[in-house]
Amino acid sequence: MDPLAAIRDTFFQECEEQLAELESGLLAMEAGDTDSETINAVFRAVHSIKGGAGAFSLDALVRFAHVFETALDEMRSGRLAPSQDALKVMLRASDVLADHVRAARDDGAVDEAHTAALAEELKALGPDGGADADEGSEDDWGDFEFKPMSVDAPDEPAPMVGGGWRVAFKPRADLYAKANETALLLRELGRLGAIEVECDASALPSLADIDPEAAYLAWTVTLTSDADETSVREVFEFVDGDCELEITGLQTDVGGGAGPDAGDAPEQVPGGDLDISALLARAQAAADSRPSSPAEAIPEPVPAEPVAAAPAIASAPVATATAAEPASPDGQGQPRKSEAGATIRVDLERVDRLIDLVGELVINQAMLSQRVMEAGFARASGVAMGLDELEQLTREIQDSVMAIRAQPVKSVFQRMPRLVREVGAMTGKPVRLVTEGEGTEVDKTVIERLADPLTHMIRNAIDHGLESPEKRAAAGKAAEGVVRLSAAHRSGRIVIEVADDGGGINRERVKSIAVERGLIAADAPLSDEEIDNLIFMPGFSTASEVSDISGRGVGMDVVKRSIQALGGRIAISSRPGKGSTFTMSLPLTLAVLDGMVVSVAGQTLVAPITAIVESLQPKASDVHSLGGHSRVIMIRDTYIPLIDVGMALNYRATPMDATQGVALLIEGEGGARAALLVDAIQGQRQVVIKSLEANYRQVPGVAAATILGDGRVALILDIDTIVAVSRGADSVRAEKRLAAAG
Amino acid sequence: MTQINPNNAAGALRELISFRIGAQEFCVDIMAVREIRGWTAATALPQSPSFVRGVINLRGAVLPIVDLAARLGFEGSETTERSVIIVAQIGEQVVGLLVDAVSDILTVTDDVIQPTPDVASDTAKTFVRGLLAIDGRMISLIGLERVLPDLDLEAA
Repeated sequence: MDPLAAIRDTFFQECEEQLAELESGLLAMEAGDTDSETINAVFRAVHSIKGGAGAFSLDALVRFAHVFETALDEMRSGRLAPSQDALKVMLRASDVLADHVRAARDDGAVDEAHTAALAEELKALGPDGGADADEGSEDDWGDFEFKPMSVDAPDEPAPMVGGGWRVAFKPRADLYAKANETALLLRELGRLGAIEVECDASALPSLADIDPEAAYLAWTVTLTSDADETSVREVFEFVDGDCELEITGLQTDVGGGAGPDAGDAPEQVPGGDLDISALLARAQAAADSRPSSPAEAIPEPVPAEPVAAAPAIASAPVATATAAEPASPDGQGQPRKSEAGATIRVDLERVDRLIDLVGELVINQAMLSQRVMEAGFARASGVAMGLDELEQLTREIQDSVMAIRAQPVKSVFQRMPRLVREVGAMTGKPVRLVTEGEGTEVDKTVIERLADPLTHMIRNAIDHGLESPEKRAAAGKAAEGVVRLSAAHRSGRIVIEVADDGGGINRERVKSIAVERGLIAADAPLSDEEIDNLIFMPGFSTASEVSDISGRGVGMDVVKRSIQALGGRIAISSRPGKGSTFTMSLPLTLAVLDGMVVSVAGQTLVAPITAIVESLQPKASDVHSLGGHSRVIMIRDTYIPLIDVGMALNYRATPMDATQGVALLIEGEGGARAALLVDAIQGQRQVVIKSLEANYRQVPGVAAATILGDGRVALILDIDTIVAVSRGADSVRAEKRLAAAG
Repeated sequence: MTQINPNNAAGALRELISFRIGAQEFCVDIMAVREIRGWTAATALPQSPSFVRGVINLRGAVLPIVDLAARLGFEGSETTERSVIIVAQIGEQVVGLLVDAVSDILTVTDDVIQPTPDVASDTAKTFVRGLLAIDGRMISLIGLERVLPDLDLEAA
């Protein structure tokens, strides 16, 4: 990949993060969290996208981001109230911005009309319909030397101009030797706000004495900007150590209203103490002119003062207050910043390689233990005890490494608000999405593969679950439906719930449809739970008319299958008039699997425990032949197909005696049950999943491979395929009917 | 040891690893060979052609073992303690080739390799890339691209 493409990739990755930040910020604001830190975060997100997009000449994106940013700035400066209406427009604007980013990334197109309409809406949010002040900056969006952002309250008599920085910068010869360039640094500073640059050439010797490789010049830059010190320092990040750099906050010109932003300065600036004492001195001088003592004057909120004295006095309390208690609005922002500083971006491949290696370490350690035991060392011997410690360490390493891949489900949850907005608008149902447990962590692969089933379920919840506003009103419910999406860790698995407060499953209709489609017998006696579970059957779709939203020929059976493919289970509970809840339980990682180790015809195989309902010893009286090699086994008055795994995998040519083996009752695709006949169960074990495809190809009936403690490869059974293959296409329906009716 | 001179006018020097299956000698390009290891029992794979012996654990990776004798259309090898697995890189995949013994490393120029004579055998056409006559022995140069079962052919 050429470097530019790599940078572009990084930009788009960062855009995704910024977009996520933007949306979650807006949602937080919608929920009432309108403190300046949240608004600033939202603003920063749009601003960064705009800045990056400008660098790549993505004009359409820059243009829209600019309008968005302008509106946000209005809100940030308090001229625009964060009303629900304004935030709704902004949320939709964030969707459009996301569309723009994706269009720019994939060279796709965006809906120009929609963009223009939203841009107008955004402009209309501004004071006077966004007519005056914004126009100026709008015209020069191209050179993103946007105006300094003042944070004054709107009704202030505008003491003008927020915080700023004095940057004294003296490059050493090394800086130039490393091919850095002062002009570029200054230009970079210029991006943070308006700058005034003074060059100090006093150190310049006469021409005769000049060493062409030495550095003589120094600059003093007065930067008017509300950028924090970190951003200013970042400009000099690459010349750190190669120059003398002094960054001092400019406090003296700040009006009292500039509190939160200007407050950044004193506690972060190295020379800050000096500054504060200077300020204090001035404040004291001003206060001395009044009868009260300075000590009282400082903590007191300063009321309207004579204009001349106001700036000096007002700034003093701000400065001291911030220095004294870092938990001010800016203090809140800090942990977030340091968090961002403490993360690194790592190629997923490297992490996977590490996970592979640790997997091998675990196997090796198990092999070593086995050998040591075989060699007859006593349990209390030094060797055995050392091995125990090694085992513990290995486990810890494995857990920590797995944790690297773990990510909060937030990344998939945050795609849902937009979906809810869109589906809600399409169906004409007002919906509120409530999310819980976004911080719950699970393997990245699981997260990626959760997006589709979740999307489908949420669509379903709104389209089928929630009633129309009229019906809700009639039932005495709030017009706005609630869809609740939550995640939590429960006994080593992650449990995700999608719940709606709609009408619940209409069991009469579900049953009649199932009968109509031939999925169950008309007189099948089904419990409520069994009826609810019918919606997971292939070929079942409750929408009487196929809607755009959820009726696309795929139903809950697809959802169930994708959840099962992840080693998970899904269940539904529904209460008429109260709503339905889908509960999914998933493994935390796909790298390891809880397996039942079994022997079949001399081979060791692993069956995923999630699929196994129970295991039992077949009695001769319960096993019946259905002609050919087909057999059924009666389990609690139900005949269930008995599949000889050895035969299914061609490990043996003649069926084994069922009474000599163990039957594993499994629940496969579509809720159909079958019993797998194996020779014996060796035990339960957590196994590391190894791909067969990497060096060979897919093998029917085998999901993957693993390496056991003795160093040998064991195959992991693909239960669904084994069941499907043993049945043959024709019998599938009939047996499903049988199984479901049972 | 022969010095390799890539600018040799007679064509670049190639190094080949020669091995024995039954009474016959074969060789493959040394660049394809990752390592050579002793035989360990393989785990049988269901629904696989008879020349696929199964899979073994190669330092954590699952490695399919192809019985090269069976693949080339001979009687399948009897595995003994002296059987050897040549671990070879074929495209993106790593495959173990079961052979009776590894005999030599040959350094040859391209012009020593004679084109495969026209014979009826499909296996010869599929796998044999050329013949070498070394000290009166005939050694067949094997191409490994088609060693793994072809998915399309299997499906047909």
